[in-house]
Amino acid sequence: AARCAAPCRCDGDGGADCSGRGLGAVPTGLSAFTYYLDLSMNNITELPANVFKNLTYLEELRLAGNDLMSIHPEALSGLHQLKVLMLQNNQLKMVPSAALRNLHALQSLRLDANHITEVPENSFEGLQQLRHLWLDDNNLAEVPVEPLSHLANLQALTLALNRITSVPDHAFANLSSLVVLHLHNNRIREIGKNSFSGLDNLETLDLNFNNLVTFPEAIEALPKLKELGFHSNGIAVIPERAFLRNTLLRTIHLYDNPLSTVGTTAFQNLSELHSLILRGASKMETFPSLTGTVNLESLTLTGTKISAIPASLCEELRLLRTLDLSYNKIKELPRFQGCFHLEEINLQHNRIQQIRGDTFQGLASLHILDLSKNEIKSIDKGAFSSLVALTSLDLSVNALTSVPTTGLRALHQLRLSANLDLKGTLEPRSLPKLRTISVPYAYQCCAFAGCDTIMSSSGDSERKMDTSSKGAGEEVAGERIHLAVHCLPSPGAFKPCEFLLGSWMIRLTVWFICLV
Amino acid sequence: EVPPSCTRGCELCSEYNGCLKCMPKLFILLERNDIRQIGVCLASCPVGYFGVRNPDMNKCNKCRIENCEDCFSRNFCTKCKEGLYAHKGRCYPSCPDGFSLTNGTTECTS
Repeated sequence: AARCAAPCRCDGDGGADCSGRGLGAVPTGLSAFTYYLDLSMNNITELPANVFKNLTYLEELRLAGNDLMSIHPEALSGLHQLKVLMLQNNQLKMVPSAALRNLHALQSLRLDANHITEVPENSFEGLQQLRHLWLDDNNLAEVPVEPLSHLANLQALTLALNRITSVPDHAFANLSSLVVLHLHNNRIREIGKNSFSGLDNLETLDLNFNNLVTFPEAIEALPKLKELGFHSNGIAVIPERAFLRNTLLRTIHLYDNPLSTVGTTAFQNLSELHSLILRGASKMETFPSLTGTVNLESLTLTGTKISAIPASLCEELRLLRTLDLSYNKIKELPRFQGCFHLEEINLQHNRIQQIRGDTFQGLASLHILDLSKNEIKSIDKGAFSSLVALTSLDLSVNALTSVPTTGLRALHQLRLSANLDLKGTLEPRSLPKLRTISVPYAYQCCAFAGCDTIMSSSGDSERKMDTSSKGAGEEVAGERIHLAVHCLPSPGAFKPCEFLLGSWMIRLTVWFICLV
Repeated sequence: EVPPSCTRGCELCSEYNGCLKCMPKLFILLERNDIRQIGVCLASCPVGYFGVRNPDMNKCNKCRIENCEDCFSRNFCTKCKEGLYAHKGRCYPSCPDGFSLTNGTTECTS
């Protein structure tokens, strides 16, 4: 049987697990055929010269979670086949460049979670095969440009959680194979115009949680970019044609920036973009042109001065499923006809005054429509006629005098509160699926939740047919509708005080007489 | 003295859910134990997980890239399953057009 070193556990295939055993030094007596050695989570403080020289077949060496402050230049000699070296969670203050020099087969090197402040210029010289490098969670004050220049085959690099304040021009010039670059949680204020030149294959760039105040125009050099994050920075302006050369972008994270202005042409021709979230660009007055951004499924554009939506919106964004244009200054709505896949529209808190018959025509997939907090006075009788899947409609806080219910047979939730001029009663039969409704006045709830004077003794709700809704051509003859509708405010047979008499005293007296 | 239910490196231990908060620079891995989640502190995440470091918490996230055994991040695979070939952090049954296997490896290069 292959030899094993006490107190390690060996699996007979060349794997040796010596992790978490309180070891103060590398155990001796391991089999020469060991290819995997886990020494993590021990108390090893140093690696003497040639300590692994017998393990010529070693491919993976784990030393994470020890107390290594330095590594002898000859400590790793003999490890010609080593592919994975884990040194994270130690006490290293400098990259052990001499010790790493001859690891020509190394593909993955973890140096994260140490206290590295210095990366000697020749640190990675011998590591032509390196693919993945972790340097995050250290104390680097700058990008190690020269050391990185040796790594033409590097594909994934993280320098996150350091103290980097700027990215100089040509910082990653030789990293033509790099696919992923994480720089999040640093203090980056400046990025040179040519900082990312040479990164021909970069697909993911993470600049989140930094101190950028200007848009990183250096991304122009990244033709293959698919995912870009610069949320939680200090960027106020997104310039015109910001992503002109990044046509493969699928995801852009830009929230938590003090955005005020967004170039009208910033988000054009991003045919791979599925979701765009722009909140609070307070000085933005014109709806961004989304020509060529044809696969957008979710658009959130809130908190701007935009007052109009382009009529061509639904000709360009045919795959749109959710549209949130709340908290803008929109006065008039275009026809949303081409947006067949729309499931959710939020137009809350705008300045819309009327809804025409063709505004929502053809939106057979629409489930949720929020038009609350506008100035809507009138809604065309057929405005909702084709919204066969609508389950939630919020028209609260408007200036309505009447509400068309044609087409709302699937509605579960209807909000009409705070439409003070809406005094008529709705007809429950035109809203057979309704479950919750809020209306301006208590007496309007009697039609749904029953008031004492109308309910018959058996407690079932018998409704007289309202001829006006019959005229709508929908008749539910003789069907007994058991309405479990939750209606707000709680039903009260009497109309509001200002409708009837002036004082509470009179109202209580009348109630008293009724009850007696 | 850390209660027996918590591994080394735990800063805030709970009786039922193992470690709730690990010491700085360690990753917390949430293991499932019947209906309970047990927090464990690790210097490196197990195979099939990748570590995400943030100022307030370091966490092991499951690697969900198709046909991938081990990840560098949410969208970059470092080790593909047996018989598959790696290209730019993804795993393929054969190398994409214009790319071929680097001799002696399971990686596609141009």
